[in-house]
Parts: sequence; structure tokens; C-alpha cells
Amino acid sequence: MENLYVIIPRNCTGCRTCELACAMVKGHDGALGQSRIRVFPTGVDKYVQMNCLQCAEAACAKACPTQALVRNERTRAVELDAGKCIGCALCEAACPFGHIRFDRASAKPLKCDLCGGEPACAKFCPHRALEMR
Amino acid sequence: MTVKFTINGVGVESAAGANVLDTARRYGFEIPSLCHHEAVVPYGACRLCLVEITKGGRKKLTTCCNYEVLEGISVVTDSPAIRQHRAMVLELILAEAPDAEPVRELAKRYGVAFSRFEATRAVEGEGPRDCILCGLCARVCTEVVKADALTFNGRGDKRGVGTPYGEAADPCVGCASCASVCPTNRIAVKDTRDKREIWGRELALVRCESCGAPVMTEAHRDHAVRIGPLPADYYKTCTACKRKSLSGRLAKVGS
Repeated sequence: MENLYVIIPRNCTGCRTCELACAMVKGHDGALGQSRIRVFPTGVDKYVQMNCLQCAEAACAKACPTQALVRNERTRAVELDAGKCIGCALCEAACPFGHIRFDRASAKPLKCDLCGGEPACAKFCPHRALEMR
Repeated sequence: MTVKFTINGVGVESAAGANVLDTARRYGFEIPSLCHHEAVVPYGACRLCLVEITKGGRKKLTTCCNYEVLEGISVVTDSPAIRQHRAMVLELILAEAPDAEPVRELAKRYGVAFSRFEATRAVEGEGPRDCILCGLCARVCTEVVKADALTFNGRGDKRGVGTPYGEAADPCVGCASCASVCPTNRIAVKDTRDKREIWGRELALVRCESCGAPVMTEAHRDHAVRIGPLPADYYKTCTACKRKSLSGRLAKVGS
């Protein structure tokens, strides 16, 4: 497989540059709360970067009543078609991993779309803990 | 099948059956609208998406949300005449809903600071006048959510949108999609730790099985399980707990 988004927790130092990059690129005001990726501490000096896994059988897309979450065949990301979204927040409730958060202010879910194939989080990660392979 | 036509002189194409408004927006042409949403059948309530369409040598001004794309038509999305018509429509909407901020902003962009008309519609109570009667909330509730809790009610100057007879509606599942799509943001949703208040109803919440935080309304879960493909197991845990549990599992894999 090409263009695979790889998360390497072993390399993560918890600097959260990925969160900042995501918030600046994808958020509407650069606030960290808008970031799609989150770094979770899992022990002393251990972190896991939590981001959408773009599931092959995506529960969010199945739950969506308007087919607003669709697979981009080129990047294989499940992307939000904001025009079709009615803001019911079922995707947030359905995601088994908690990777979609619903943003009440914009009435839309915050969902990673791999930035169209060139994810900002991977580009800005200084420790090669996120990579496109 | 693909249909080819022009918008402002630019050649565009779209699948047969699509409407002109969605196609124009996909190509980046700006056309104002308040009542349109891609998830529901076009309704043509707000009349703001007026454009000029030439078909077979005949020109006419028409709403483009409910105009199906046709081979060879030419569409003009902006001209002094179109702006004048939109300004008039906005003046009428402004008379209906002077307290709606999005309407006021749009009106200002079209040079309409105030309305010369006086609304005759009787509004119950002293609440703000912010409904433009586009019925988008009711259409989404019926066509997409399939809860059928909202409808137009009354006639003439007593027309309104909301629950039947203005009473708390039993079919409402509390998904708040109506509030999300409302173009004037007038539908109030109050979330507390114990319940969600909407349309005069108080709905119980599904509690996260590990931390007790609210996940969604119980009625919305039951409705989603009944008409959707996912079983109730998917709707048991809150976002934060789901992330936490996965991060714990991934940490074990890594070490």
C-alpha cells in the first residue's frame, strides 16, 4: 500500500506540535480545541497520538443519515461533505474510537481528512512520530 | 449522464438530475440562499437564489435551487437586475424576521438597511421575530431524520413552523438537527448533565457506561438503532472514554 498514514507512538515526545499544526490548518481560529489529532499520555514519558484511523468499514459513515461522510478513493480518507451534513452528531456517537468530535459552534463534526493526502500533522512532527509512507 | 451548460460564461458540467445551485457552488460561484440544504429536496422558499437562465433563446429570472440542470442553458448569477430583485426579496424577509442576525447581515450586503414593509404575521408571545418560515427544520426532520416531529402550522398570517399545535412533540428524538440547519439559528437547545431541552421537551440522556457523561439522547439512540445499520452497542460510551481506552490499548501494543 502507498500513501499510508503511520502513527509511531515510540517516537512521540508529547510536544503536541501535531495538534497545533492541525488546529492552524483545519481549525477556523487556530484554537487547539479544533485539532483533529490528540496526544494522549499513557504513562511516564509515554504518549500515543490519537487520530482517525480511516476505518475500512467506517461506523461514522454507516451511521450518517445523509451519506455526508464519504471515502476519498485517492487518499482513502473518509471525508466530510459539509454541504450534506445536517449536524445530528450521530457520527460522533457512533465512532468506536472517539476520533470524531462534534463542534456545536459550527454544528459540524471535526474529522480528519488527511489534508487531501498531505497531512499537516505529519509534515510538522519534529520526531518522525507521524509519517506518510 | 452528464449535462453541459454555462454559468457566467464558464463551461460547467453536472450529473443529470442535479440542480443549478449545487452545481454553481461546486464550481465556486457565489449565490445567496437561506432555505437550501443538499440533504433535502429543494423547496424554493427564500427566493434568494434568483438567477437569470437563458434556455432556447428565452431569458427568465428564476430560483436555481429547484431548477434542474439542462443541456445548453446559460446561467447568469449576478447582474444589477438580479441584485435588485434579491434586495427586494431581502426587504420582505427582513420585515418577517427583523431580529434574525444572518438575515440582517445578508440584507446589508445587498444595501438593505431597513424594510419598508410591516409584517402582518401574528407571532405568539413576545419572542424575537426571527423565523423566515422556510421550513428547513421541518423538512430535515421529516426527510432525513425521519422523526416527523416538526411541521408548518396555521395559515396565512398565522403560519408558523414548529411542533403540531405548538405543543411538546412526542416524536421528537432530540437530535437537534433542526437547530443545526436553521438558517437564522433560532431553535433553542439546552444541554445540561441530566437532560436535553428542545421544543418544550425534556429528553433523558444516554450516559457513558464508564464515566457517566452524556452521550446522546436516549430517544435519538433508540431511533438510530431502529432505522440505522448500527446496533445500540455503538452508542454506549462517550468520546473521551473511547479515546482513553484505545490509547491504553495502543500503549500496550507498543511496549
